[in-house]
Amino acid sequence: MGANPCSQVRVSVSQTGDCFDCATNESLLAGMLRLGRKGIPAGCVNGGCGVCKVRIVEGAVQSLGPVSRAHVSTEEEASGYTLACRVAPTQAVCLEVAARLRKPFLGSATPVAQRPAN
Amino acid sequence: MGVLRIGHASLRVMDIAAAVKHYEEVLGLKTVMKDNAGNVYLKCWDEWDKYSIILTPSDRAGLNHVAYKVEKDEDLEALQARIEAWGIQTTLLPEGTLPSTGRMLQFNLPSGHEMRLYAMKEYVGTDVGTVNPDPWPDGIRGAGAHWLDHLLLMCEMNPEAGINKVQDNTRFMKECLDFFLTEQVLVGPQGDMQAATWMARTTTPHDIAFVGGPVSGLHHIAFFLDSWHDVLKAADVMAKKKVKIDVAPTRHGITRGETIYFFDPSGNRNETFAGLGYLAQPDRPVTTWSEDKLGSGIFFHTGELVASFTDVYT
Repeated sequence: MGANPCSQVRVSVSQTGDCFDCATNESLLAGMLRLGRKGIPAGCVNGGCGVCKVRIVEGAVQSLGPVSRAHVSTEEEASGYTLACRVAPTQAVCLEVAARLRKPFLGSATPVAQRPAN
Repeated sequence: MGVLRIGHASLRVMDIAAAVKHYEEVLGLKTVMKDNAGNVYLKCWDEWDKYSIILTPSDRAGLNHVAYKVEKDEDLEALQARIEAWGIQTTLLPEGTLPSTGRMLQFNLPSGHEMRLYAMKEYVGTDVGTVNPDPWPDGIRGAGAHWLDHLLLMCEMNPEAGINKVQDNTRFMKECLDFFLTEQVLVGPQGDMQAATWMARTTTPHDIAFVGGPVSGLHHIAFFLDSWHDVLKAADVMAKKKVKIDVAPTRHGITRGETIYFFDPSGNRNETFAGLGYLAQPDRPVTTWSEDKLGSGIFFHTGELVASFTDVYT
């Protein structure tokens, strides 16, 4: 570990101003979670649930695996939408959290305050 | 007569090779066959029918269908009549629609989830056999799950619009398939609205569960383990294999089950579930959880709800 460290780039979340350094060989979401940071909603971290949907506003990313078409259509992907758990930054990235946050299933008992506003 | 137990779940996966590796190496299932469409069929070591999981290549995650085994072939006609009289359309799929499987009665639950019933699936035996068997086989991999135990379906619930598919499914399962209610979550101003239910046909606390959400989907499929120590070891396996753990080993208040939640490589939530909790019986009094104690019902130790647990599913 660490013998050949991967380069890191800055990732920032436009709505909240959160930012963190992410390695270019890990997903945007994994990089955030590894540091215990917040800003992007985290769910399955495997491309299926769609909770971490973002739009890349500036910078560039590369795909690490498939994203569920139930959550990101090909048209959306072409206009910069993706899942933060399925892409790694190739340069500094500014992103917008795009996930439409679902109403929690049991009303007031669910800690909605943990979910970022959008 | 009627439903015996859960038979199989058919899951959509976005990377079939990664999915097979996960169900084999993390959960300990074995691949038993593949078909020409690219579907992969797997079973647990303690199951005697041919398969309990079907993995289907797809561009999204989620559940294709869940199937329950009935005791006798003629049960299919009897249940078909009851289901149609209840107001739900059915189709009898001919033998061979799925390999090694007899004819299947296909229908959608009120929540929209596809369910199938079948009486015949090829018998292949457990990995320890039936004569002077060892308690467990050699060569178990990963968590070494015994069997597919249950699944939890998220069901559309929008009280303002008068929609409660949890309640509809619960009534359907009771009135058509003779499932009985073991536990429920009641919410609302009068505390009379079913927001989640756990139902059984066997003697375990649940063979299926329904929870209300904004849209219908799959919350998780669960595999049975023997003991709390097996749950701990399963978490060790997940950490070694870099599996995304959603909820680390803990206990449910509801069902008293010992549990871990984690995600397969397409984001379908899995559970490893140990402890039979209690003897579920049709005449056992139903356990009720109120909205203010829901946190303890779901995760008994912390008593706190985990946002990702309640609003993340496929």
